[in-house]
Amino acid sequence: MNRFLKLLAKWPTEKALRVCAALGLVALALMCLGVVDPRPLQVVISMSVSQAFGGLAFIGFALSIAADVAQARMRPAAPPPEQSGDSGAS
Amino acid sequence: MHELSLAAILTLVCATAAALILIHYLIRRPKLDARVRMRLLFGLGVFPMATAAASTAYGMHRTTERSFCGSCHVMSKHEADVDDPESTSLASRHGRNKMFGAANCYICHADYGMLGYPLTKLNGMKHVYHYYIGHYGKMPLEQALKEIRVNKPYPNSNCMQCHSGELDSFENVREHRALQQDLLTNKVACASAGCHGYSHPFNKDQPAEEHAQR
Repeated sequence: MNRFLKLLAKWPTEKALRVCAALGLVALALMCLGVVDPRPLQVVISMSVSQAFGGLAFIGFALSIAADVAQARMRPAAPPPEQSGDSGAS
Repeated sequence: MHELSLAAILTLVCATAAALILIHYLIRRPKLDARVRMRLLFGLGVFPMATAAASTAYGMHRTTERSFCGSCHVMSKHEADVDDPESTSLASRHGRNKMFGAANCYICHADYGMLGYPLTKLNGMKHVYHYYIGHYGKMPLEQALKEIRVNKPYPNSNCMQCHSGELDSFENVREHRALQQDLLTNKVACASAGCHGYSHPFNKDQPAEEHAQR
């Protein structure tokens, strides 16, 4: 668990999300390939490889969101805003 | 161009929606706030899952169609025979039957029973393997017609999925009554020369001169 949290702390969220988005686009293109050109190889790829890519992209996305949340919690809390003396309160 | 079914349209619509979200994210590179996360959940989760489900449904349906079977060149003559309105082969006569229609290859060659559907699809994967990784893909058509055979003898039980052996119209035929045990144990094939004829005009078991005439 500790190791997982360390991994999340170091996870390059923005970069990973961009890679996942690109992988997702490839997966979507392959899924459509079997519909646009329904020959045996294309249909098989559409029902196997593309879904593996799509699954990987989604797992990467879920990890990135978890990492983003974890990193936000690990950041030191911002100091509370200073109270100014001339707030008008009597 | 093949007919676009509802599953195909759903595939394309969901894929387009997901692609637009992802392309927008890649180009604009917005800060990761709650709204962007939600948008990415749709772009990488909801829409791709819907696309995968729809494309699988389309693929499963498409793989039952005769034009799909005939898209491998080694099956092109079988497809042409079924499409020929003059052909009297069993396959062609079944193909003209509306109950079979465009799925006549699948309906006759599918395994039946509880695991019939997945087993049929797995066997289909073997065909893909033999065609693309094995040597079927490069085999000349004439050689394929002579060498490629069904992987196991065609079971009469597949015929009897539709042609029930329990109705009077079946039992009133003298030959059916006489051969009942042999039919049930596949010693005699329904699709053979002495009975209902060969399924395809390229059957390897028929006499050579008959084969040559085709």
